[in-house]
Amino acid sequence: MRAAFSDALVRIAKADPNVLLLTGDHGYALFDDFRKECPAQYINAGIAEQNMVGMAAGLARVGFRPFVYGLAAFIPVRVVEQIKLDVAHDQLPVIFIGDGAGFVYSHLGTSHQSTEDIACTRAIPNLAIYSPADRFEVTTCMELAYHSKAAVYLRMGKSDRGDVHSVVPQARLGSLLEAKSGTSGGITFIATGSLVRTAIDMAVANYPDAAVWSAPFIKPIDSQQVISICKQSRVVVVLEEHSVLGGLGSAISEVASEFAPVRILRVGVNDRFSHCCGTYEYLLKEHGLDRSAIELKIHDFLAAN
Amino acid sequence: MIPKNKAFDTKVLRKAVLDMAFVGSTVHIGCAFSIIELLAVLYRNHLRYPNNNPLDEGRDYFILSKGHGVMAQYACIRELGWLKDEALTGYFADGSDLKGLSDSRVPGLEVTSGSLGHGFSVGVGMAMGSKLRGTNQKTYALVGDGEINEGPIWEGALFAAHHELKNFMVIVDENGFQAMGSTQDVLELGSIQAKFESFGFESMTVDGHNETAIDAAITRLWSSASTSPKALIAKTIKGKGVPFMESNNIWHYTRLDSETYEQALSAVAGGEQ
Repeated sequence: MRAAFSDALVRIAKADPNVLLLTGDHGYALFDDFRKECPAQYINAGIAEQNMVGMAAGLARVGFRPFVYGLAAFIPVRVVEQIKLDVAHDQLPVIFIGDGAGFVYSHLGTSHQSTEDIACTRAIPNLAIYSPADRFEVTTCMELAYHSKAAVYLRMGKSDRGDVHSVVPQARLGSLLEAKSGTSGGITFIATGSLVRTAIDMAVANYPDAAVWSAPFIKPIDSQQVISICKQSRVVVVLEEHSVLGGLGSAISEVASEFAPVRILRVGVNDRFSHCCGTYEYLLKEHGLDRSAIELKIHDFLAAN
Repeated sequence: MIPKNKAFDTKVLRKAVLDMAFVGSTVHIGCAFSIIELLAVLYRNHLRYPNNNPLDEGRDYFILSKGHGVMAQYACIRELGWLKDEALTGYFADGSDLKGLSDSRVPGLEVTSGSLGHGFSVGVGMAMGSKLRGTNQKTYALVGDGEINEGPIWEGALFAAHHELKNFMVIVDENGFQAMGSTQDVLELGSIQAKFESFGFESMTVDGHNETAIDAAITRLWSSASTSPKALIAKTIKGKGVPFMESNNIWHYTRLDSETYEQALSAVAGGEQ
């Protein structure tokens, strides 16, 4: 996934000399290719994210196309106000890459974990939020972000959970992508980022008739498509490596409650910080986001509904 | 272009601010009055707007990072013809465009500010852009002394010096006050010039109400052969021009009534320039 990100970034930057990469002193090996191929377009702004985002706004104002890279805990969360005021207010085409979203930095603790970044940015007007699930969606998202000429927050989570598509998908901004087909009338999964793979695996094993949809875009989201999915489902399970407050589960619920009421189980981080450290898999368990815990939640939810 | 030494009469600018503040029943008069001479000199003698176009791609960039002084900038922009008189006489009317803090949708305002410590960084980015493009455009960011409490100012200062943004000038309006009191009482700043010098800026301190001195200082800083960014520390008086407002921080918040409006108009009209 990160390789696909780097490849897309290099490709886009080589084709457009106005593209600049700004990093807050992160991305040690990730940008080796970029620095080799586009050295004049690389700016390490230092460990100074607030200034970096303000500068990106200034560069965008004078015609550059900045990509601003950081860990999701910092970009966007540390700089929400700069994104709001310096970038989004004036619809400047700055693309924010928040890497390591969710529990990627499982051993490092809360400072480097990011499960509130979508919620923090969703209410900012003029800002799109992308959340790719695999390397193919990363490629799609990078191209769309660049061509949209809009402010974008691109959330990159756990990068090695396996593909959910077999080719680079064609996607409209806001569309949900079918990751597994299913039949109507039963359970449907909608997931984003790292948990799309989990949803597919669970569906294949336990709910072979269930469709799985990947949501590479949290905002905008194609509400007609969401309505259609909800209308065809008895129960919808939404999964994300993010708080259940303000993320994909909220976005789906907001549309459904107005236009297609259906029982929705939101699976995500239950409004709590990590207590302990450990492997990524360990932390998923701590938060009830490992497969067996999710399966139990779904079982209980279906039994009650 | 505006004829030199004709427009941007500081008495006219101050009167425009008072008119706005009175009709709109607004605050932040003191914040605007401390930067009147700075803006007059910049607009009259330094800022280049080819074809008198606020969006000309070759323009210099002037960023009012301390958005609280925006009435002073509205007064200048009216003189450039980019705002109609009605925009000022209808200040703060429902549905009007001119807000109480800078908004980049207004012609001539480069950024949306008011949350402090933002415009400086945007300006550093614009200066970096000019450097990358190899243009001779200059970027000015006017910040308040209270504003430089904000961390991003110093992040941006490091960056500007490291990247030798000699086309960037910060102007500090050192009026000695911030919202809740004197800068000395709230958060001691020490020597602002020494601070910027230690960050690698070429710096000068000037009387921020002496137009000749301001003009000379700006010219001198730009004429330097060094690759450093520039810092002009302007010693100013908050509320300058109206004796009962001068260095009286209540005029950060107080609104004019008919009586104080008339007194202030009279003081401004009689002031020595």
